[in-house]
Amino acid sequence: MSEITKKIQEIAREILEKGEAEIVIGWEKGTFWYLSPPAFIDKPEDTQRLVWDEFCHNNLSKYLLDYKNHEGKVAIFVKGCDSRAFNRLLQDKQVDREKVVLIGIPCTGLKDQDKAKSLGPNGDIPKAQKCMECKYPTPLVYDYLIGGEEALNEVAATKEAPDFSDVKAVEEMTPDERYDFWTKQYDRCLRCYACRNVCPACSCRECIFDQTRIGWIGKANNSSENQFFALTRAMHVAGRCVECGECERACPMDIPIMLLNKKLIKDINELFGKYDAGIDPEGKLPLGHFDKNDPEEFM
Amino acid sequence: MKTIAKAKLPLVLELLAKEYKVLVPAKFEGVTRFTPYQQDVELALEENVIMPPKDIFFPQTEKMYKFKAKDKSLEIEEYPLEDAMQIIFGIRSCDMKSIDCLDQVFLTKSYVDPYYKNKRDRSILVALSCIEPMDSCFCTSMGIDPQKAVGADIQAYDLGDKIGFEAISDVGKEILEKISSLLTEEEVTLPAVGEFNLNADVEGVPEKLKEMFDHPIWDDISRKCLNCSACAYVCPTCHCFDIANEVRGEDGVKIRCWDCCMFDEYTMMAGGHQPRPGKKERVRNRFLHKLRYFPERYDMLLCTGCGRCVVKCPVNMDITSIIRQIKNA
Repeated sequence: MSEITKKIQEIAREILEKGEAEIVIGWEKGTFWYLSPPAFIDKPEDTQRLVWDEFCHNNLSKYLLDYKNHEGKVAIFVKGCDSRAFNRLLQDKQVDREKVVLIGIPCTGLKDQDKAKSLGPNGDIPKAQKCMECKYPTPLVYDYLIGGEEALNEVAATKEAPDFSDVKAVEEMTPDERYDFWTKQYDRCLRCYACRNVCPACSCRECIFDQTRIGWIGKANNSSENQFFALTRAMHVAGRCVECGECERACPMDIPIMLLNKKLIKDINELFGKYDAGIDPEGKLPLGHFDKNDPEEFM
Repeated sequence: MKTIAKAKLPLVLELLAKEYKVLVPAKFEGVTRFTPYQQDVELALEENVIMPPKDIFFPQTEKMYKFKAKDKSLEIEEYPLEDAMQIIFGIRSCDMKSIDCLDQVFLTKSYVDPYYKNKRDRSILVALSCIEPMDSCFCTSMGIDPQKAVGADIQAYDLGDKIGFEAISDVGKEILEKISSLLTEEEVTLPAVGEFNLNADVEGVPEKLKEMFDHPIWDDISRKCLNCSACAYVCPTCHCFDIANEVRGEDGVKIRCWDCCMFDEYTMMAGGHQPRPGKKERVRNRFLHKLRYFPERYDMLLCTGCGRCVVKCPVNMDITSIIRQIKNA
């Protein structure tokens, strides 16, 4: 058992025993060695199920939406990206800070699940793409921190520069090439909505894509409806995406969803100044307020 | 048994493709699925395909008929039914069983679905045995023999570097006849099937579930579920659909599309009542349907142990673990 796993179990047990929270949401080992899905622990003796390893991908902040109307407190573990998601939900008044206990884990980067599956447990498994580009591996907000302040310095040293080369490659395509590229990607979309349901930026109580009866979107699966879905979702999470990469990981059809999200992040940076979502819960959203200095080239 | 070297399999497919539409397991635009055979097709025979053969018979979106509504008159125009025969090559035992499940739904109990029946009737099924189960496979737990499929016209056998063929139905015999010049007759021993990594003991589960509707287990199991439909849409047996109109002015098309019991609109009733409001009710329904309601109605489980949901679920909802939890409850 790793040192961090041991600490996670200890702190979870303590929180439950002291009644600081009614439930602790962490990760546990799944069906395969390369899966560490979410675990919901409400008894101190069950805390031994909790783990921390390089496959703890799920962004647990999303689950706070399930406890919005819950009376008691909920404790969750947060990596850097999860903490950004928490800040985002806070900014949108989706969660009550007082009702959540945050346990921060300085994250040195997770491994790519699909590559782990094909390379095997002894293979040299690369980091997940999102982690290679992560600017905030350290939790930005927490009540407890696993490993203490010294762990933060360790993590800070692993930061790698964000890279938009994949976005630039698509930007350099001709419009026809680009249309063809995205059409092919989204023609295989099943519209299972795993991307939406796993996404911490998707917090609408009623989603436009569930309004087929009203007709915002048709039920049919075809290029046109799928592209409408893709574009609407991308625009809707623009300025709110915390780059946790969960949409892309959850997609059963391996659609490069983060490529779309990163394009919007890059555009927002260029149009409205550098902005990273989920850093400052008090700040204003680049697409959520009007500023006299906003570019208005189309006017 | 009639055999051919694996490397020469494209010759068989090529020959059949001259007369039939031949669908083969292949990688197409990043996903493995049944794809029309062409010379440059990227065959995927090492592992089962991600998208099961379900959508060949029951497409995700299907146009049922056209209509024109003007003043008080309504004209309905049916789409012409196709009649060309097609061969589906390389369906694994789990997916062959799923076609058996779909047949029950769409062809038995006094209602025959014409859209499904048309595609089913003109399909010749060539099953392919498995010798090396994937990590996520558990078909044997569901009573399926990975080397002998139900309902095949031809059973093909993975013999390592060769493929063997055995005709099961009369149509199967005809097809084998057509490719006989490419095949060699030889004695073969079937290779042993490898170890299964996953298993589930379903003995007594449908009966036990009759008393478990209000069991606290469902709260526990459902908490991590995201209520997406990745599991149902990669499932070879999930068959729920929704019927909708696409209307432009006076003209409309009646379509039916896959639907999923995880969605809010799925059970939404007129007047706004939602009988399955949350994760617990929806997850419970999914597993009761697979492990209790379907066996009650059709005397077979609605899970074939293909393992696709275990692999594709973003939160690792694992039906084998859920079956274990039901057993231990």
